[in-house]
Amino acid sequence: MATIINADTSDGLKLTSDTSGQIDFQSAGSTKATIDTSGNLKFDSGFGSVGTAYGCRAWVNFVGTGTVSINASGNVSSITDNAVGNYTVNFTTAMPDDDYSVNGSTSSAVNNNVFIAGATVLPTTSAYRFNTRASSNVNLDMPIVNVNFIR
Amino acid sequence: MRIIYETSDGGVAVIVPAPEYLLTHTMEELAAKDVPAGANYEIVEDSVVPSDRAFRGAWTWA
Repeated sequence: MATIINADTSDGLKLTSDTSGQIDFQSAGSTKATIDTSGNLKFDSGFGSVGTAYGCRAWVNFVGTGTVSINASGNVSSITDNAVGNYTVNFTTAMPDDDYSVNGSTSSAVNNNVFIAGATVLPTTSAYRFNTRASSNVNLDMPIVNVNFIR
Repeated sequence: MRIIYETSDGGVAVIVPAPEYLLTHTMEELAAKDVPAGANYEIVEDSVVPSDRAFRGAWTWA
């Protein structure tokens, strides 16, 4: 059961209330999104049924050459320039644990063989250290570095 | 502004603040959060950090 907010095609807004603590958002009586009692946001968004949405908890786009700077970010307090092609992303709000997933990419007009590689420092809830590394196994500074953190 | 600090191997790390973070926090607050505990650090102007990174590995804390 749930408290239901339904955009009905005949009657417009229809509200159904209960004490379950869950909220369902419906269109024409079909559930399109839910917030359950654990705080999980679930949505349909073309899947055919509602499923839990796993959010990008932090992201950053920064310049890794010349004067290192952050172009844009979310939930990132800073990056630390440790060495050539070696950076740490520091989170504003810590991750719930250190089991988050990381992906990223680099952009350069002259080198498309540079990937994001883990550093010899384990992830923590407050920061993640990594390398931008060429296929020749050498760290390189890159003009644009993008990193995303999913949990 | 930047925060520079001495790394455990005698090198220098540079903390680059996120503009978003500085909307609601100070550089001192950032240093308290992101500089490793016990490390020597200094808050400096951007221009203090060399933009030529050719010898980035040779930067040392003086």
